[in-house]
Amino acid sequence: MTDQPRVPVRTRAPLPKTSVSSRKRRDKPRCPLLAKLLVGMLLLCLSPAALHADEPLFGFSYTTDLLPKGKVELEQWSTTRFHKAPGGQFWLQENRTEQEYGFSDRLQLAIYETYDSTAAYHNGPFGETTPAEQFSYYTPGPNDRFNATKFIGVSGEAIYRLVSPYTHPLGFAIYEEPTFGAGFIESESKLIFQKNYRDDRLVLAANMTYAPEWRRLREDENPSRKEIQEETDANIDLGASYRFIRNWSAAFEIFNEREFNSYNFTHESNSGYYLGPTLHYAGKNFFVTTNFDEQMPWAGRHVDTVPGALVGGRIIDNDFEKYRVRVKFGWYF
Amino acid sequence: MKSTFFLLPLAAIAIQGGAAYAATYLSVEQAQALMFPGASFQPDFKTLSEAQVKAIQHASGVDVRNREVKAWRVSTGGWFLVDEVVGKHEYIPFALALDDKGRVRSVEILEYREAYGGQIREPAWRAQFQGKDSGTRLQLGRNIRNISGATLSCKHITDGVQRLLVTYEIALKQNDR
Repeated sequence: MTDQPRVPVRTRAPLPKTSVSSRKRRDKPRCPLLAKLLVGMLLLCLSPAALHADEPLFGFSYTTDLLPKGKVELEQWSTTRFHKAPGGQFWLQENRTEQEYGFSDRLQLAIYETYDSTAAYHNGPFGETTPAEQFSYYTPGPNDRFNATKFIGVSGEAIYRLVSPYTHPLGFAIYEEPTFGAGFIESESKLIFQKNYRDDRLVLAANMTYAPEWRRLREDENPSRKEIQEETDANIDLGASYRFIRNWSAAFEIFNEREFNSYNFTHESNSGYYLGPTLHYAGKNFFVTTNFDEQMPWAGRHVDTVPGALVGGRIIDNDFEKYRVRVKFGWYF
Repeated sequence: MKSTFFLLPLAAIAIQGGAAYAATYLSVEQAQALMFPGASFQPDFKTLSEAQVKAIQHASGVDVRNREVKAWRVSTGGWFLVDEVVGKHEYIPFALALDDKGRVRSVEILEYREAYGGQIREPAWRAQFQGKDSGTRLQLGRNIRNISGATLSCKHITDGVQRLLVTYEIALKQNDR
């Protein structure tokens, strides 16, 4: 598709992806964060306490499977997003450390922290250097090489299962995830559906997500002042996973991420379609989930689409990219 | 935000409960001795025909993953069967003892390799199957009680018993005549 003529408009700060969480900021990144995280992991491995897990079969889609009451699980997520405008350079590394707890057999609670790194150069609309959404507080020049690392924020997560797919024809759960970062708040809500076949080895999942967010950013017209900008993500995720041999599952996901500069689905700015495979291994003490997704060239222009953000049928606004690779580790000793 | 949030996972672990680990509880011989004390066992393994598989699936509502039926005729009357069902990650081997009328005498879990859900070994839960025959439609949450936190294992053992009861009716019962 052809882009519109160049207009000096800054990409409006939109927001995260689907289920996952790339949340917001804090200034001075602390290098010791990683070291502390590694120490925490090491202590976990040495802990005589026992963890139990309910692992994700998909990279992005959620299922209604929850931890049993009283059980605890540690997850480490790593999501790499790369490739935006042709000829430019872009990567974003999102890291998430999560602790889940089975409050009851129907309610699972979690808390997690997100900390990201990025590099961008001539990656955005019209080849301008454009930070990823988590780093939209920065305003580098159009030809600057931008690098940053930040502690993004803290999220809480609650999933309540109303119906189990093991005892009813269709599983159903509701999900709520508030996120708090510096100058940023988000409330992500989901409806989660799950249908199982073939001795529960074939799992179909569908998620519907509604996630309004508020971000305090510099005004476009007067950068010396800040304003609250709102945006809403509305996503649909579909996934199918099959356990083809003991411990191993293969899955395929397709999802549509939409962004609106409103709460009521008006002023749509972006819409991207992603699809890709997932491979999942679960053993007695841990699981690993690896996922790759590519944005399909199915994007179109919408009323609030930033000029220059639609390239070759793909949206490259600051919350979209061509490729995503996600790896999740979970421990339950 | 303080980086001390990284300590939260450790705090949560400190308050967690115990774990269930993979374990082999009974060998086939031990299960035979436990479920039919003093009896001897004559192997009567069978391979199900396509028609039998379809009939079993239709009558039980459960998929037949393996056409091989591991069954032993018991000297004191009845049958001893060993099979496995799908667990969360691994298979769950179990043994089923039937009396001479095809009713469940007992169910034993031979191995459990999952990280959790091992409550299916509780005697009170397994005792629910006693007296059930192929004429009873076993349904988790109705005539078989579910155990929260072990739902998948409960469901699959229930389905496995149902499938073996129907297998007896279709493929083994005529041997008793």
